Amino acid sequence: MSYLEYNVKRAPAGLRKLLYLNWALIVLVATVSSVGFLMLYAVAGGSLTPWVEPQMKRFALGMGAMLFIAMVPIWFWRNMAGVAYGASLLLLILVEIIGDVGMGARRWIDLGFIRLQPSEMAKITMVMMLAAYYDWLDIRKVSRPFWVLVPLVIILLPTFLVLRQPDLGTAILLVAGGGIVMFLAGVSLWYFGALGALGIALVTAVFQSRGTSWQLLKDYQYRRIDTFLDPSIDPLGQGYHITQSKIALGSGGWSGRGFMQGTQTRLNFLPEKHTDFIFTTLAEDFGFIGGMVLLGLYLLILGFCFYTGLKTRDRFASLATLGIAATFFLFFAVNMSMVMGLAPVVGVPLPLVSYGGSAMLVLLAAFGLVQSANVHRPR
Amino acid sequence: MIRMPLRPLARVLDARARGENPDAIERENIRRRHYEMHDRFRRRSEGRILLLGAFFLAAFAAVGARLGALALSEPREPRTASAAGVGIVAQRADIVDRRGRILATNIGTYSLYAQPPLMVDKAAAAQALAGIFPDLDERDLLSKFSGKRKFLWVRKKLSPEQMQAVHDIGDPGLLFGPREMRLYPNGRLAAHVLGGASFGREGVSAAEVIGVAGVERALDDTLRDPANGGRPLALSLDLTVQAATRRVLEGGMKLMNARGATAVLMDVHTGEVIALVSLPDFDPNDRPRRSLGGDPADNPLFNRAVQGVYELGSTYKIFAAAQALDLGLASPDTMIDTRGPLRWGRYRIRDFHDYGDRLSLTDVIVKSSNVGIARVAQQIGAGRQQAFLKSLGLFEPLPLEMVEAKGSRPLLPAKWSEISTMTVSYGHGISASPVHLAAAYATLVNGGTRVRPTLLRQDGPQQGERVVTPETSRQIRHMLRQVVVRGTASFGEVAGYEVGGKTGTADKPKPTGGYYDDKVIATFASIFPASDPRYVLVVTLDEPVETSGPKPRRTAGWTAVPVAAEIIRRVAPLLDLRPRIEPLRPPAVTLTGN
Repeated sequence: MSYLEYNVKRAPAGLRKLLYLNWALIVLVATVSSVGFLMLYAVAGGSLTPWVEPQMKRFALGMGAMLFIAMVPIWFWRNMAGVAYGASLLLLILVEIIGDVGMGARRWIDLGFIRLQPSEMAKITMVMMLAAYYDWLDIRKVSRPFWVLVPLVIILLPTFLVLRQPDLGTAILLVAGGGIVMFLAGVSLWYFGALGALGIALVTAVFQSRGTSWQLLKDYQYRRIDTFLDPSIDPLGQGYHITQSKIALGSGGWSGRGFMQGTQTRLNFLPEKHTDFIFTTLAEDFGFIGGMVLLGLYLLILGFCFYTGLKTRDRFASLATLGIAATFFLFFAVNMSMVMGLAPVVGVPLPLVSYGGSAMLVLLAAFGLVQSANVHRPR
Repeated sequence: MIRMPLRPLARVLDARARGENPDAIERENIRRRHYEMHDRFRRRSEGRILLLGAFFLAAFAAVGARLGALALSEPREPRTASAAGVGIVAQRADIVDRRGRILATNIGTYSLYAQPPLMVDKAAAAQALAGIFPDLDERDLLSKFSGKRKFLWVRKKLSPEQMQAVHDIGDPGLLFGPREMRLYPNGRLAAHVLGGASFGREGVSAAEVIGVAGVERALDDTLRDPANGGRPLALSLDLTVQAATRRVLEGGMKLMNARGATAVLMDVHTGEVIALVSLPDFDPNDRPRRSLGGDPADNPLFNRAVQGVYELGSTYKIFAAAQALDLGLASPDTMIDTRGPLRWGRYRIRDFHDYGDRLSLTDVIVKSSNVGIARVAQQIGAGRQQAFLKSLGLFEPLPLEMVEAKGSRPLLPAKWSEISTMTVSYGHGISASPVHLAAAYATLVNGGTRVRPTLLRQDGPQQGERVVTPETSRQIRHMLRQVVVRGTASFGEVAGYEVGGKTGTADKPKPTGGYYDDKVIATFASIFPASDPRYVLVVTLDEPVETSGPKPRRTAGWTAVPVAAEIIRRVAPLLDLRPRIEPLRPPAVTLTGN
């Protein structure tokens, strides 16, 4: 491959960009969101209010944003990464000061027309920032200690702010998402090995410190860990979510009880059924098959993201796309593990399905970035 | 690693020879090296991307497998074995009568409680509940459901129909807890003896049943003791006799226009209370609340037989007579001066009628002469009188197995002066309950040994200390029989059962001091059969008036005695007593065959 050959390839321009959009991804995202509308409609007892209608509006808004972002060249977004990251940090600090309290945590900021959750934004802007950082950084310096420290700061700054809210779920997502981007950027595996060892040591320390004066976590967090390990300790209290959602999943069986026929979810046995635990409604109404179909859709979305990430030779585009895919995967994986009792209840929504404006908008914007990376790939 | 030189000499020389700029070779080589590194790095990062993809796939597979496992699992609602209510023993022994018939037992029922956080439609639930239980207020319920409380009791006891109705509301926040509930299948019968029960410590899955009054309260520990193994507690009451007594007494109370009435039937040898009725009464299944105002004696919860400490009037005369006989001061035929009025200081003791100058001791009792018995009491003296009455149990609260027995402490003269000695001999200035009177009569007529009343079934006669000699006891029985045969209690005759007894009519004391003219407590203490008494029956009517004659009559002979006679007529056959009826003389006509 010669230098001249490479230069011959061009990124599409003008309205031709529309042809190069990954329409399959758009259809997939719309399908998953529609599953969400259907489930919210069912949870509301066959009504568009209070959840479906606002969710649909946000979806429309998010699709518009996605197309707009997709049309803008990806290198513009690379240049904007620092600004976006800074802005989301600022919003996180602002939330700390003037944010609204909901469900015992200070997470929302009221912008008048929308209640924004800056922690959702931070997930994507942090990925962008990391991608831009590694795009700028000389490849040979990637594993040097100082240059490893910089992305760590980029990750831990929003993580710290999010933990103060407190929002354990988002914090986990941030750390894991950032770690995956660093892994993809080629940071030496020794660091990850060391981190793993450190993690094990930390977990040991956390458990050893329990009940002592220098206890590292709050009591409720310990109890969540306990009930995670054995939900039957407290089936009506801390373990209630998990036990009830397991019952709902079991009650769905192979093919489900039929649309809007589920008893567990309909009779209010499950809290948060329109947000974090919406999967139980799906699994109860449509059973194992319905759950697997949703899983397949997610897998396809991830597949397209991976395809784009592998195909593009632009380092920022590739890292950002895969980082977004990783975040999307983490959303899904943590939520599913939580619902199925594989992980503690930390409060992570099911992407594109759970009710929630910020997560929806941010995810659609992120898919806009993926699209942009796809469109502006020189061909 | 062999690195290719950036300026290979051979090529540079070649290029110079061809007149080209050799720097281009260096640039070309730098670019090529750059691309090589880049591609190497890409291969590495592509490897990492694929690794990540494989990890994601594995995670999806794990989630899918877990989903499948859960879908195939059989869901089971968690049950908390350790929920509230552990350690509450709900077992409570039954109470039965002397023949083993159930007086109090337990039935399983359900309580209704709400957990508002689990409720789906609080407004609808509140409305439906108010429909099922008319005494619940819908708005009150709704405000309770909407408040911060996570748990609240709605009803302590449910009937099966109510439970089904609540179940049909279908709200998951309305829950049922099993309950053992005390049931009194005979309703008002023996209500005062049994008392009642209610819930003590309560948990969701069980509640303690504790006695609140009567036997249930007094013997609460025994009834709840698991060591007894649920063996029923046998009372001395006889359910049939109790029912008959209550029925007759209720009719008598109405007939005599009395405010209240009580009857105590006691076995003279064992002290067992066979029937104890106090009217008005109540249903222990739905125990009324203690009222705060009004006369406590009008409250249905008030047990007149035990808590009703009354002046029992002339029924006390027999005690002075018995003591005089026992001390040898007099014989039944000793003539007593009955000229009245008897003056003592500023007091004057009078008789109801003028009985002439003198009467025999028997006739003093038969005609119920206050003057005569006061003179006898003068002879006995205060000290001996007190000792005798005390030995009859008339100074202490009743030893009955019910909490109300504590309230039966007799009222005694503050200072036992000589005039007190005389008034006490005819039952004024001293008060005791009807059960006290029954026990004292039983002591006198059973041969002279002390009887202590009991509500528990006994196996044999009591071996009480001797109070009077058997001979005195026999004479007393004769005197009491004569009262019915030719004295004040002539309405008390029941054919075949040899009723004996003594009437007493006491003016009711005013709460402000002094006595009412037109309000009396009429008492008839009777024994049957008089020649060998088995039972003593005390009937007391509160403010009776008998109005069949031209003038209203209030004395016991016209009020309490006929009621008591009717009770005896009804219950004696139930008590396995054979009437002793003189065989009819064969008709004088002799049938002859021709």
